[in-house]
Amino acid sequence: MAGPVVPSSPTTRFFGSPSAVYLSAAILRGAFLVYGLWQDANSPFKYTDIDYLVFTDASRFMNHGKSPYARETYRYTPVLAWLLLPTAWATGSSIWDVVCFSSGKVLFAVADLVAGWLLERLLTMGGGSLRPMDGTTARKFAAIWLLNPMVATISTRGSSEGLLGVLVTALLWAVMARKVTLAALLLGFGVHFKIYPFIYAPAIVWWMDQERMTSRGPGDTSSKSGMSFASRIGAFFTPARLKLTIISLATFLGFSLVMLSIYGGPFLVHTYLHHVSRIDHRHNFSPYNTQLYLTSAFPHLSALRIESVAFLPQLVLSCVLIPFVLAKKDLPTAMLAQTFAFVTFNKVCTSQYFLWYMVLLPLYLPHSSFLKDKKLGITALLLWVASQALWLQQGFQLEFLGQSTFVPGLWLASIGFFLVNCWILGIIIADVPFRSKS
Amino acid sequence: MRERITYIQKQGDTLEASSLSISPASLSGPSIRAVREDRLTLGEDELPAELRSLLKEIHELHVRWVSPVAYETVSPLLARLPAGFHLFYTPSGGVGGDGVHSTRLCTALQTVFGSIACSTPGESFTSLPADRFSHAAAMQYFQPLEGLDSFVGYVKGKKVCGEEPSCLARVDDLKDASALDVSWDAISHALKVTAFWAYGEKRVEAVAWREGVRTEVGVLSDEKTPTMEAHELGISGLLTVLGQDGKPSVTMFSFPSRHRDAGIKFQAGFVTPTGLHPSLRVTVGSNRPPVGEDEAYCAPHAYLTLPRGVFVDKYQLADGLFLASKNLTALRYVSQPVDLEAPEYVMKLWGSAVLVELTSPPYEAGEKEREWTAEIPMHLRYHAPAHGGYKTLEVPYPAVFWACAAEEGTKFPNNPFERVNLGYDGLFGPRTVFWHLEPRPVEGERVVSRITVPVLDLDKAGWVNVGTAAAVLLGFGWVVWKLLAVYLATGYGAATTEKEKEKKRQ
Repeated sequence: MAGPVVPSSPTTRFFGSPSAVYLSAAILRGAFLVYGLWQDANSPFKYTDIDYLVFTDASRFMNHGKSPYARETYRYTPVLAWLLLPTAWATGSSIWDVVCFSSGKVLFAVADLVAGWLLERLLTMGGGSLRPMDGTTARKFAAIWLLNPMVATISTRGSSEGLLGVLVTALLWAVMARKVTLAALLLGFGVHFKIYPFIYAPAIVWWMDQERMTSRGPGDTSSKSGMSFASRIGAFFTPARLKLTIISLATFLGFSLVMLSIYGGPFLVHTYLHHVSRIDHRHNFSPYNTQLYLTSAFPHLSALRIESVAFLPQLVLSCVLIPFVLAKKDLPTAMLAQTFAFVTFNKVCTSQYFLWYMVLLPLYLPHSSFLKDKKLGITALLLWVASQALWLQQGFQLEFLGQSTFVPGLWLASIGFFLVNCWILGIIIADVPFRSKS
Repeated sequence: MRERITYIQKQGDTLEASSLSISPASLSGPSIRAVREDRLTLGEDELPAELRSLLKEIHELHVRWVSPVAYETVSPLLARLPAGFHLFYTPSGGVGGDGVHSTRLCTALQTVFGSIACSTPGESFTSLPADRFSHAAAMQYFQPLEGLDSFVGYVKGKKVCGEEPSCLARVDDLKDASALDVSWDAISHALKVTAFWAYGEKRVEAVAWREGVRTEVGVLSDEKTPTMEAHELGISGLLTVLGQDGKPSVTMFSFPSRHRDAGIKFQAGFVTPTGLHPSLRVTVGSNRPPVGEDEAYCAPHAYLTLPRGVFVDKYQLADGLFLASKNLTALRYVSQPVDLEAPEYVMKLWGSAVLVELTSPPYEAGEKEREWTAEIPMHLRYHAPAHGGYKTLEVPYPAVFWACAAEEGTKFPNNPFERVNLGYDGLFGPRTVFWHLEPRPVEGERVVSRITVPVLDLDKAGWVNVGTAAAVLLGFGWVVWKLLAVYLATGYGAATTEKEKEKKRQ
């Protein structure tokens, strides 16, 4: 893709101008936002996501000096409700009230744009084993996120996943720029905010070896060969690794303890423990879903409690094997593979989780098999979309027509989607040693 | 022990005193078209020992059972409730008392009424708002209950009748009752049992439970007395106290009543396909309010008791446009808590009580009355997997009424036919008059709406455990294989050294 620049192409001219790309991304979100306001005001079917109503209700409680957990199903850190406090302001003027209420969506949309800009920075700085890219090409890839209508819809409907996007890209950028303190702060806060970014900790720690952090040339492992096992263990604990671990843990604990001291038990229960105790019986993309529904209804019938072993393949892949094999070679792709594995093998999987890995896609796609081999790329995309569509069709028949499609329909569709995701993940992993060589 | 037996005919139907034959222990007469209500009041010492000890834990208890079979009634016995078993309860120590965590009440209810599926009040009951009406009970429970066969069996088992055939026959008659109220409160120390038989052809036949029980028999008619005010109902007819009066005395009186007949019928049914988000469509026969707009402010309401398999989402019913599209004005009340996520099979709470204000199309005096509908959107919980893949859920019709504000200063003292503690009465101000609509079945004779709930089909679930495990292992194995291939080719380190190797190979 980073081929010779053809100045006459209008596409190239468009991506050659940062203001054109970011303005388009902003206009896209602005248009969706305004359209959403119109639909909300004129139709009983709302554009705004139910989650946004949960957040803003929680902010309203907070604005009145109450706990955000007074809102049922608020399962997030109070920081989110705090960030959205302006949505609870009542000005007395209906226009300003709408502006205030929409401020959270604006925040999410701006987070989208910042994430896109960080993607461009990451692509141009190269970093790790990636070759630096010129700005025009970088913006072409960043556009997968910036100009993606799915991403723009999700953030303007008021889903907070865009904030995760900016947190993760900023984390990656800080790591690549060797800004250990900033990376640690972002990691600690990210885990406090949404738990799952903890999977990046082993990858980043593993990546931060002495050679890389002291810029003696990337990942020069040959110097280690003469060391004893004990001194190799000792050498693992580099200042950068210790600093990252301590600061990120302190950040996570600091945020969590402050929230615990203010909001008490409900904070722990709703933000963290809920994810442990929930039974995830409702239909979703996860391959475990049907089985969880079955075992939650007849807990005494199953010899093995599926929910207590389901996390094993998920965590072995996303926290151990993928970081170990891939992180030092290509951190962004390792993080993409980790996220992909985490979401694919999760006990519950909904389409907003796809955003978690989608934000890392622009960093992997250049030089990937999917772009090199167009046929493979299109096949993967079609399979990903088609297996999802099949599930959605079965889900529609259940949810709106009342047909019992749990087995075999939904079950097989979720298994099919899972296997397609595993296949794609396998290709991403196999790409890592070859991407940097092209 | 004392008893009141009342027949009430429609306005214009009357019975001559001469057609009644009266003996010291019974009264009989011709066949008439009427409703019948028997109200038996029992002192604490007349109750079985097991109930007496239980009642010590109870400050107030009201059972309201209503038959799912549609029935017609006559003024003033107009108050209506959704079909099923309702319970309103205040433990002697209040909601915070020990009685809340005892299984004794639920066990006793199971003994008396059969399949009552509660565990303890604390787990299964919802709390009623305490700030509205001091006389309203503190907790509520509801579940569908088809009939009184268990209750009849329980009463017979207590050998209250001995071998007396007329007494046994009266107990058996309870199986045909359309409603049964059982009320106890610690202040009066009396248990009131009121049975109601729907409007229809019945012979006048009143027998005292046993000799010495004061039994008052009324054969009455709905009446408009000349001195009646707008908020009052009237009654006239013949009253006889068995064993005391040789002939009936003629009576006529009027009294204020909170429950009135709107003279409108309604039907309820789920919009198909129901899916997982069924909507209950209420079809009302007329848009004419019971009282002119200039006389009182009136609004139509539906009061639902939803078994735990289905619920309404108060957050969904907060948007004006959405409500308007369903012909709803507002969600006025939902009992708390309503777990919006839990599957049916882990819930211990009975379900939820819901009051919604409906929007009727405006009515201009003199114009033609119109039929109209409102839809109440609900959500199904996940139900336990079952053979065949479907379950049937029955939701009783709501109680539908126009609630009208009576004039300032109007008082509603208890009248002889008053029913309180109905669940919705405590949600309105003390001067509210309820103009009831009559529920009519869509088909058959039952006033319940059915939903087919899709569930995981156990007949097809045999492969789920093995299949899921195999798929996860396959996917996991493939990804591990790919990682292993990378590891074997390039190790775990950075790619640079490999790049060099590659260069050499090239």
